[in-house]
Amino acid sequence: MSKKAKVKKVKLGKLEKREARYGYLFILPWFIGVLVFLLIPLVQSFQFSLADIRMTPFGRLITFVGHENYTQIWLEDKDFPVMLVSYFLETLLSVPIIVVFALIIAMLLNGRIKFKGAFRLIFFLPVIIVSGPVMLMLTGQGATTINTMNVQAINSALNQFLPQYIAKSISEVFGNMVTILWYSGVQILIFLSALQKIDASLYEAAKMDGGSEWECFWKITLPTIKSMILLNAVYTVIATSNNESNPIINIIQNAMFAGNKGYGYASAMAWMYSVAETLIIGIVALVLVTKRDAYDKQVKKVKKDRVKQNRAIKRARRRGRRNDGKIKKALNSK
Amino acid sequence: MAYKGNRINPRKFEKGQLKIVLAILPLVLFMGLPIIFIFSHAFKPMEELFAYPPKFFVSNPTLDNFSKLFKASRMAGIPMSRYVFNSILVTGIVVIGSIILSTAAGFALSKLKFKGKFVLMEINQGALMFVAVAVMIPRYLTINFLGITNTYLAHILPWLATPVALFLIKQFIDQVPDSLIEAAYIDGAGDFKVYTKIILPMIKPAIATAAILIFQQVWVDLGTSNYYVNDEGIKTLAFYMNTLANANNTVAGQGMAAAASLIMFLPNLIMFILLQKSIMNTMAHSGIK
Repeated sequence: MSKKAKVKKVKLGKLEKREARYGYLFILPWFIGVLVFLLIPLVQSFQFSLADIRMTPFGRLITFVGHENYTQIWLEDKDFPVMLVSYFLETLLSVPIIVVFALIIAMLLNGRIKFKGAFRLIFFLPVIIVSGPVMLMLTGQGATTINTMNVQAINSALNQFLPQYIAKSISEVFGNMVTILWYSGVQILIFLSALQKIDASLYEAAKMDGGSEWECFWKITLPTIKSMILLNAVYTVIATSNNESNPIINIIQNAMFAGNKGYGYASAMAWMYSVAETLIIGIVALVLVTKRDAYDKQVKKVKKDRVKQNRAIKRARRRGRRNDGKIKKALNSK
Repeated sequence: MAYKGNRINPRKFEKGQLKIVLAILPLVLFMGLPIIFIFSHAFKPMEELFAYPPKFFVSNPTLDNFSKLFKASRMAGIPMSRYVFNSILVTGIVVIGSIILSTAAGFALSKLKFKGKFVLMEINQGALMFVAVAVMIPRYLTINFLGITNTYLAHILPWLATPVALFLIKQFIDQVPDSLIEAAYIDGAGDFKVYTKIILPMIKPAIATAAILIFQQVWVDLGTSNYYVNDEGIKTLAFYMNTLANANNTVAGQGMAAAASLIMFLPNLIMFILLQKSIMNTMAHSGIK
């Protein structure tokens, strides 16, 4: 990015200046909102994470303690590090499941069938319900596990050839399969609206050339909605991590109001949690980042060549000028 | 692609649909579970709510839970309609406001050129990752500093700039072809006109999705009522339902909680049914591709 900025050090023209002004105008209200209600609180919470905060009758008492909160969490807390690792693995496993499931459902719902609206409704609604207190009741009723899926058998199979902590999170994912799928409503919607935007004539052309539906899926559908797959994967990570039924959120919340830990400790936890989340998103993005197609590659190559040529020309000119100078000097001295 | 026209449902049942329906039906049953549950749970009489082993379906439906809920609300000092009004007001303003903010910001980030654009994008990406719990107390300090505790603004302002909505909308605006916008510029349209006449109509499905998302988040949110507002008269319906169900968290509370969750759920249902039409069939308006 910084490289780009360096190359772009050209003075803006009138039109560009106007455009830039409008850009700021459009983004300003949003930016103020984010600044006041997100950025400033975030910075504050980072400060708090480096301090020990006590509520006293005379107000807040803040003492700076450096990295103590962080080291205390890693060395002394018995729950948080374990939970963080299992959260990391579980999320990495459940993201592909949700995204693929959502894509399949969206493809099916995009077909021409009767009662499509009703189907769509049913697939979306669990998201709303799951986000409320109803979820607890449902888990209590045992509706979130598939009884026929024998989790025990999977567990013992996994335990044989995987280390224990990985096997545990895999079996956890299997155990919560139903819940995981219930979270996929929004992703289905996003995929549906992306699928709707694909031009039908593309498929028609492919059909004329004798392409099967299978080929159409891999050659047309998938490349077109690639960016949406990334969007969905990122959204899935965020939605599952920031959900209130996530156990880590509960830990943070409890620590916030616990007498012996306090707000600074909870802030440090939250910061480490978001670092873990960022890592996951980084991994997802690495896997899914849109690779350029052949045409883009060629264009890039041509551009690169041109830059190289320009540089060569410049160098030749510079050398020529220098040589000119030398020759002149030599002539003058003679 | 034999079917032409822009209605969502084909008018007749065709043989070709059969395989899709067969694939979908079992999944529908499975995804429908929570919906069935929430309805049947609300109508369960007392003995069935506590039956062991728990029952999934109701066998003797009653309206008992609802009448108890309304009785309890009548005894409270503030009528329930007040909470309903608060919730509708807050949610309405937040949905409309944050859609306007995030489409405008998304348009600027995606299509306009200005300095600092990349930094802003990174900021949004970073803000996405952060859990709401962590900024709760600093946010309270900010709200306190602004002097808007105990007002409607305390409900509304923290929700207005939603990073998730911006992220979603920006991805969709990226897909609007530049040539369309350039054509509009050549015809003499300003940026504002491009925004209202081209961007907004073309990303209708994204707007609908974001609206549903924000609505659902704000509608069930307890945080603002819990932390930023003391005055009972301006707390939201979600908070009220929660206290009703929790205050007498004994045997009677369970039935009321079940009824309350059904009542909280219905607006979501209506909202979705209203908006889902605009998620589909936008190709008809989009002009070129």
